[in-house]
Amino acid sequence: MKTYYLKRIFSMLITIILITTLTFAMMHSIPGGPFTRERPVPDEILRALNAKYNLDDPIIIQYLNYMKGLITFDLGPSYSKIGTTVNDLIYSGFPSSAKVGGLATILIVVLGIPLGVISALKQNKPIDYFVMFMATLGITVPSFVIATLIIYFFAGKLGWIPSFGLSTPASYIGPVLALAGYSLSFVSRLTRSSMLEVLRQDYIRTARANGLTELSVIGRHAVKNALIPVVTYVGPMIAAILTGSFVVEKIFAINGIGRYFVESVSNRDYTTIMGVTVFYAVFYLIMVFFVDVAYALLDPRIKFKEGK
Amino acid sequence: MSPDKFQFVEQTGEDKESIRPSLTYWADAWRRLKKNKLSMIGIVVIILIILFGLVGPSLTPYSYSDQINKYKNLEPVLDLFEIDGTYFHVSNDYNMFVLTSEGVLIDRLNLNPLKRDVINKVYTYDFGDEEVILDFSYNLLPTKQGYDYDFTIEYHDQVVSEPTVKKLNKMFPFGTDGLGRDLLTRVMYGARISLLVAFIATLVNLFIGVIYGSISGYEGGRVDNVMMRIVDIINSVPLVLYVILLMVWFRGGGLTNIIIALSSVYWVSMARLVRGQMLSLKEQEFILAARVMGVSKRKIIFKHLIPNAIGPIIVSMAMMIPSAVFTESFLSFIGLGVSAPMASWGTLANNALSGLTTYPYQLFFPALSIAFTMLAFNFIGDGLRDALDPRLRKG
Repeated sequence: MKTYYLKRIFSMLITIILITTLTFAMMHSIPGGPFTRERPVPDEILRALNAKYNLDDPIIIQYLNYMKGLITFDLGPSYSKIGTTVNDLIYSGFPSSAKVGGLATILIVVLGIPLGVISALKQNKPIDYFVMFMATLGITVPSFVIATLIIYFFAGKLGWIPSFGLSTPASYIGPVLALAGYSLSFVSRLTRSSMLEVLRQDYIRTARANGLTELSVIGRHAVKNALIPVVTYVGPMIAAILTGSFVVEKIFAINGIGRYFVESVSNRDYTTIMGVTVFYAVFYLIMVFFVDVAYALLDPRIKFKEGK
Repeated sequence: MSPDKFQFVEQTGEDKESIRPSLTYWADAWRRLKKNKLSMIGIVVIILIILFGLVGPSLTPYSYSDQINKYKNLEPVLDLFEIDGTYFHVSNDYNMFVLTSEGVLIDRLNLNPLKRDVINKVYTYDFGDEEVILDFSYNLLPTKQGYDYDFTIEYHDQVVSEPTVKKLNKMFPFGTDGLGRDLLTRVMYGARISLLVAFIATLVNLFIGVIYGSISGYEGGRVDNVMMRIVDIINSVPLVLYVILLMVWFRGGGLTNIIIALSSVYWVSMARLVRGQMLSLKEQEFILAARVMGVSKRKIIFKHLIPNAIGPIIVSMAMMIPSAVFTESFLSFIGLGVSAPMASWGTLANNALSGLTTYPYQLFFPALSIAFTMLAFNFIGDGLRDALDPRLRKG
């Protein structure tokens, strides 16, 4: 078990180095450099800018500097927001992103799993059809459409929630719903099908035959086993929430990392793109690692084989 | 026991074993797929959407980039105000139009620049030699609050505040966008772009993924280890990040760039799936037989292994197409999509976002198209899974 975790951490480090190198190589091989504008900048200014940001060093020195900065959590200055560093952007953006993302995750777990369980227990009843209909909608309608519809109806027409920012508790409703939509639907579908599978198993019949109460059969035996495939979805779910935040934060005008990332993409702000990509990658890897650890603790059948 | 206690049973033919005509794999799959109503609906919807994208744009009198400046931001359903036998329509940005009683646009009225009273919110338009006065100060000026209408139209000394009739926009069934382009044409053209991107990207992914996965799975050992490590590393970060990086690296949109970006990343899931299939298939006797007979490696992979794994491959391909549509619209939405004036559903939705509160219909149609396509492909995918891969059948 211990060697497995050490191996995992080691391969995580390798992955991070590779991703950083790849990102660095890509961002530095774009022709023109970060200060190329439609109106050409005078040569002297360009030289001064390049010197200021150490862009006149040989590429390998720049790369080593960047990696050195990465170890000390220094992601460098932003090229298009003068006077701010990528670290500033991440520090200022992360709290809002984390709050919305965390609430969305809670919503997915607290709402998605029970909905799936209920619709499995009431299979082919109206409530099952309703839940599955909503879940199918949630999977097929892109998050940007859900987000804009929420703004249009709940913020615009009805005026129940503010249409931008995160100033009041009510303003969280829109972004959290839009962010959770896809994964919420996915989790409830997954829970339902896995629950149906489990309910057909012999040990459920045995539990019933032994005279356990229905609550105990469902709660202690069925749900617990049905949740195992659901836990595997958590990794992709983190990815969905991270990338979903690009769209949701843009639409709801939340100053989160996702919004900065999208802005930096359209501004061609290469250091920010690079920094945020690396940040996302590391964050994602760490989260997935924790999920794996939790998974191994939850399901005693899972033993990590050597060399797997 | 004497033989006369027995009697012969008459042959009725009832207990004859009925032999079904033997079906090929595909005929059997098709038979099962046909039973699945949702899948058949999905197939019909997809065929309609493909026709819509291929044939549709040539049926409308406009091209996707035609800008008709005088007809900007016109809604699909028009409120008509009838005064003295003439039908008027006022758009949300206070342009005045004259129409026939059936809702066919005749012309936009010119705003008289000398009688454009922004402070009191009264505009006067020239209609031939006569004038039409639009007073839109209601509910806007602090002195004029609490009305249940927002503007009045005055023509021939008659003042009207309630629309006489609602008519469908005959010239632009889906309305027009902020540059006066016909949205129906653009949505149809967007179908073409979105589906083209999805199909090509999926085919390339299929090609790379199947070859990569089958080599890795069949070779096994060190080759497999190295190849799968690469896949693991690619897969350890949300794939959208790579696509975004690639798009930035390509310096922006463009149809080919999107296709390249999508197809260079998403093959990893296909490779994993195919590898898994290969691992179990290559242990079976018919492969051993082929090897004993000296069939070449390449022939074993392409003639024996891949055809046997075709079911799961097709199922996962059917699921890849909608996710490519999804990713493409997502990219377009964050500004990395096809370049203007080309349009995909994602760019159309992105363009509609800025004017959402005033012109919601501009978002409605592209969003609906994306949702329909996703739904249809999901239904087809579910049906194919049940038909081709009975092991994965859902309860």
